[in-house]
Amino acid sequence: MSTLCDRLVQVLRPRSWPFAVQVPAVVVLLMLTVSGVLTEAVLNRLSQTQERHLEQLTGAYLDGLSNSVVPHVLRQDVWEIFDTLDRSSGLYKGLDIDWTVVSNDNGLILASNQPNTFASLSPVPSSIVARFSPGHELVLDPAASLAYVQRTLLDQGQRIGAIHAQIRIAALLSERADVLAALLATNAILTLLLATLGYVAVRRMVRPVRLLSRHLQESARGKVQPIPENEAGRADTEIGRLLRRYNALTLAVNEREVLASKLAEEERLASLGRLASGMAHEINNPLGGMLNALDTLKRHGMNEQVRATSLRLIEQGLTGIRELVRSTLVTYRADQALRDLTATDLDDLRLLVYPEAKRRSLGLNWNIEISAPVPVPVLPVRDAALNLLLNACHACPEHGQVTFKAGLAGDILVLDFTDTGPGLPSHIREYIERPDVGSAPLDRTSGLGLWIVKRLCEEMHGRLRVLSSSELGTTIRLTVPWTAREFRDAA
Amino acid sequence: MRRAPVLASRRELLATCLALLAGARTSAAAEGPAFRFGLTPVFLTSDLELLTKLQRYLSRQLGQNVELVQRRTYEEITSLLVSGQIQAAWICGYPFIAYRAQLDLVAVPVWRRRPLYQSYLIAKKGRGASSFQQLKGDVHAFSDPNSNSGYLVTTALLAEEHLHAADFFRQTFFTYGHRNVVRAVASGLAQSGSVDGYVWEVMQEIEPSLTSNTEIVRRSEWLGFPPIACPLALTKSEPVVRLRSALLGMASDPDGRDVLSLLRLDGFSQELPSLFDGIAAKLSAVRSFG
Repeated sequence: MSTLCDRLVQVLRPRSWPFAVQVPAVVVLLMLTVSGVLTEAVLNRLSQTQERHLEQLTGAYLDGLSNSVVPHVLRQDVWEIFDTLDRSSGLYKGLDIDWTVVSNDNGLILASNQPNTFASLSPVPSSIVARFSPGHELVLDPAASLAYVQRTLLDQGQRIGAIHAQIRIAALLSERADVLAALLATNAILTLLLATLGYVAVRRMVRPVRLLSRHLQESARGKVQPIPENEAGRADTEIGRLLRRYNALTLAVNEREVLASKLAEEERLASLGRLASGMAHEINNPLGGMLNALDTLKRHGMNEQVRATSLRLIEQGLTGIRELVRSTLVTYRADQALRDLTATDLDDLRLLVYPEAKRRSLGLNWNIEISAPVPVPVLPVRDAALNLLLNACHACPEHGQVTFKAGLAGDILVLDFTDTGPGLPSHIREYIERPDVGSAPLDRTSGLGLWIVKRLCEEMHGRLRVLSSSELGTTIRLTVPWTAREFRDAA
Repeated sequence: MRRAPVLASRRELLATCLALLAGARTSAAAEGPAFRFGLTPVFLTSDLELLTKLQRYLSRQLGQNVELVQRRTYEEITSLLVSGQIQAAWICGYPFIAYRAQLDLVAVPVWRRRPLYQSYLIAKKGRGASSFQQLKGDVHAFSDPNSNSGYLVTTALLAEEHLHAADFFRQTFFTYGHRNVVRAVASGLAQSGSVDGYVWEVMQEIEPSLTSNTEIVRRSEWLGFPPIACPLALTKSEPVVRLRSALLGMASDPDGRDVLSLLRLDGFSQELPSLFDGIAAKLSAVRSFG
């Protein structure tokens, strides 16, 4: 039901119409406007011409008639006036005279050509006189298909009577109606023709655009695919060039994608390098102590007290080194990929972050509330968490505090990373919360780790959010949904 | 002396021109001064064919060019006749009586075997009036103030009742033609009219569309048919004698019969002036009423 409503709304919104409909619609609109204006102009002109002709004809009729009847009106000669009217009624071919009335100065009818309607010596009906405003000889009444004319009869400048006549103008009006019908028919045919032409032409023209739009839609769903050469049309046309530019663009986008994954790998290796150097440093410290202990053993090995102390020191150093190596192995052993995440995996991160924290005199709080293995991909989660922890360490000032919390919210793994840094710059915050990864890192110094996290996040269908960010610190939350069982099996 | 032939030829040329100007009504056979014959609207003067045939017939019979003279009113023709400017005229019985002392009869038309006709009072078809009293207050159309049937008969009728036409009718007007009276009544311009019964009957035959819109309210008694008259002084003159014989012999001449058939007349007869005593009585009745 709502789909139907949506469709209806869409149909009613012309901007959502396809070009092939929009352009003919514009053509129709233009044609309607043009034909409306033309029709109006033609009819206006026609009616003006008709009115002028009618005025001339009635003028000629009244001129002839008044010349003939003036002497008879002076003598009040009823018969001669009637005879004149009767004989002249058929003489004016263009005039369809209904009746003519000649009256004297007192407003009494002397004679009319319809004595049965207008009897001699009866007053001229006031309804006739009232139709005319002073100075107007012709009054049109299109509704009744009639025109009324009047003429004052003068003799030596004196008013001696008047002529009133009613003329049928149905022929003029029907001519107007005919012209209107002809105009409407012509315009309708022209509009239909042009709209059809417009539809066909635009359909032809927008075919490549539709092709392009289809490919763009497909590319939004998956890999960006170039348009096959045979569909792209001739290269020397505007559209052909556009489609080829699109193809070049898809090529560039795909190359960039390849570059981006290479870059990600490099970054991974770089962070690995940083990690390795930290680890070397971490091994080097107990190694120095152990060598000293060994040296002491060599020289004062006889002394029971000294031997015991030295061996304890060596054992301590070796234990530390063993722990470090173990966690590193856990992180980078490929066969770990398919198992579920355990609390140990997250605890181990502390060991990896420790050297960096120590270097900057940071406090580390680990709060792992996971009792059973969680079905999420181990390596990406650890990788992302490690990067976020390193970023948190990096953000903290000396003697700062980094807190890592892990827990479950239903079928979702929730990891919170809190630092006591000065807060996130807005562009980074925006970058973090953007749904897409972006095809390139934010910038080398501030956001390479984040870019990797976002790529991993996408891989795991996880989500990254900034829970809070102020001058007192920042909390970033990574949520990772449980992997479906079959997916993990397949993987 | 040398100029005389030129003048003579000019006269001839002038005569020829005049003859040509006279047009269709001039007979090729006619010679000498024209015989001027006046016509009044006692009959259908609008018929050009009739006028042409009548003119040709008379010209041939008289052996001289006959010019038909028409005027708008009876009075003009009567004046021309009385003053001798025309040699004969078809006038109405009323002016004949009025100018009895100056005029003489040439011949009287015979209609439906009698030299008599009637005056009709007509009204719009469907009015249902059966007496002239019912026409009181009408707009009334007369033919001509010098017409017997189109004026005198009705005014005499009213005079007998001690009425004036101007009082009896709301308004009267003259149409100067019997046919126009029929038109006026048929169209509704006049509610009633006084018309020549002969003209009405002939129109009934040739223009029924007009007369069918009228109905006869009253027929007068039979009166002398409008005669052909001449100035008393010319009654024995050669052209008038020839005119009389042309008229009287019309029925026995093929061309003459053509004219008569157009006029719907049987012929012409020679009658005594006493034929018009009825009209004279009406005139004196009107005059005595004042």
